[in-house]
Amino acid sequence: MHHVVLDKWSRGDSLLHRRDPRGKVLGLLAFLIIVATTPPASGMAAAGYGAFLLIAVWIARLPLGGVLTRGAVVLPFSLAFAAMSLIEGDGVRALALVEKSYLSALAVVIVAGTTPMPNLLRGLESLGLPRFLLLVVQFLYRYLFVVSEQAQHMRVAAGARGALSAWTLCRRWRFRAAAGAVAVLFSRSYARADGIYRAMMARGFQGHIPLLATHRFGWSDLGFLTVAIVIPATLRFGLGA
Amino acid sequence: MHIPDGFLSVPVWAAMSTITVPSVAYMARRAQREVEESRVPLLGVMGAFVFAAQMINFPVGVGTTGHLLGGALLAFTLGPAAASVVMTAILAIQALVFQDGGLLALGANVFNMAVAGVLVGYLPYHFWGGGRRRKAAIFAGAALSVLAGAVLALAELRLSGVAMPNAAVWVSLGLFTINAAIEGGITLAALSSLEALNPSWLRRPAADGRSVLGVLAAAAVLLATVGVLFAAASPDGLEKLAENLGIASRARVLLGSPLADYETGFFSSEWLRKASAGLAGLALIYGVCIALARVISRRRSA
Repeated sequence: MHHVVLDKWSRGDSLLHRRDPRGKVLGLLAFLIIVATTPPASGMAAAGYGAFLLIAVWIARLPLGGVLTRGAVVLPFSLAFAAMSLIEGDGVRALALVEKSYLSALAVVIVAGTTPMPNLLRGLESLGLPRFLLLVVQFLYRYLFVVSEQAQHMRVAAGARGALSAWTLCRRWRFRAAAGAVAVLFSRSYARADGIYRAMMARGFQGHIPLLATHRFGWSDLGFLTVAIVIPATLRFGLGA
Repeated sequence: MHIPDGFLSVPVWAAMSTITVPSVAYMARRAQREVEESRVPLLGVMGAFVFAAQMINFPVGVGTTGHLLGGALLAFTLGPAAASVVMTAILAIQALVFQDGGLLALGANVFNMAVAGVLVGYLPYHFWGGGRRRKAAIFAGAALSVLAGAVLALAELRLSGVAMPNAAVWVSLGLFTINAAIEGGITLAALSSLEALNPSWLRRPAADGRSVLGVLAAAAVLLATVGVLFAAASPDGLEKLAENLGIASRARVLLGSPLADYETGFFSSEWLRKASAGLAGLALIYGVCIALARVISRRRSA
């Protein structure tokens, strides 16, 4: 499954991996806002942002091809809307939509690929996001792949029983079988959540998921944040105006 | 429909984020109060369940398959506040890990699908979920939640100045309606199976809701949703209305006196006019949602 890739990348070690998650999140937000406010007709600025991100990928020692393809997930959506802009005769905006959405997605991939999810969420928490919500996100991410795998097992089992072959059963029956599968998955998730809670209590859960390594926001993080804001801002106002 | 970054104009995403943050904070507080501590893992695992359930294919139409989207199903089982929190968590993970929807656009996406979508979807169930029209209420709720989210997203895109031929708007509206009907059917089938397994998983709505209030609320939501789309399609229309009612001129006097030099620049800017027209529409829908949340929560505590 492709999710594992991002998780694996984020366990690496580089100058970017070692930065405090708060600095990375703030830098990412600044970058996204700068990209979003760039006027449409500034190809030079877009090229500059691209170069900036490529340097970030190089520093983070992430595989370039992997980052580019992961970011490309947004392209079908962007291209559809770009085509509509083109039909309406707005070629400049069409190009801007594709550029901006792709650059923004790449920036998110780079930050998510250099920060393990628990650290990222802890960073968000110390930036003031509600802990309850982040705890839910945390559990969701932890069990996402477990429950997905269970769904896949159920699919294989259903296939083995012949439930998936198109010609054995009428459509109505298959629809009902799928609804049953959703209900069974629901009940198993429910039971799993109960078990998880009991296990957590048994291990002395205090309302926090402990981190293996905590960060201190140091001078190097401040330096990183400054660079992450100043360079795109310079590109934006130097080349984009 | 997950909006990526780079599509929404600054006033739109800024407005949506300022609307979404307090709404989610409120929902999180409600959910925290409503659910016992033991249910925190439950909410997370239910989010994972929605992800996984999307891998189960339902045969719809000829040779095509659809899948559950899940917002309404969560609202009918966990309650609207908890469902809203779970949907927010799902959208956050989709933006961070799967590049499905942008990070800056998260405010808008959360509002469309986790706040408006869930509340609007819960509405019919709240009023008619306990009575004879229970099945219709489940179907309508699930369909409405998909429709509201998609129409809002479309309106936000148009407000941001993303050009779309009129034909494309109608085609997408048609597709949204089909999707909404599919979600309604899947949710209804899944809930029936769920009820057969364990009836206590379904939330008990009031035994028989006050029909008049329900009809009014549903009509208001429908009108507001469609209204927003049309407002976005032709901001000039809304602006003309404001002009006729004298709002614009009054505002001009109010704002113009201390900033006389900027006056013409301020109001002749196409960008600002469109944005303010759009914001008026969105504020309308927000007001409706807040009022609904109030009604729903008061009913429940009573």
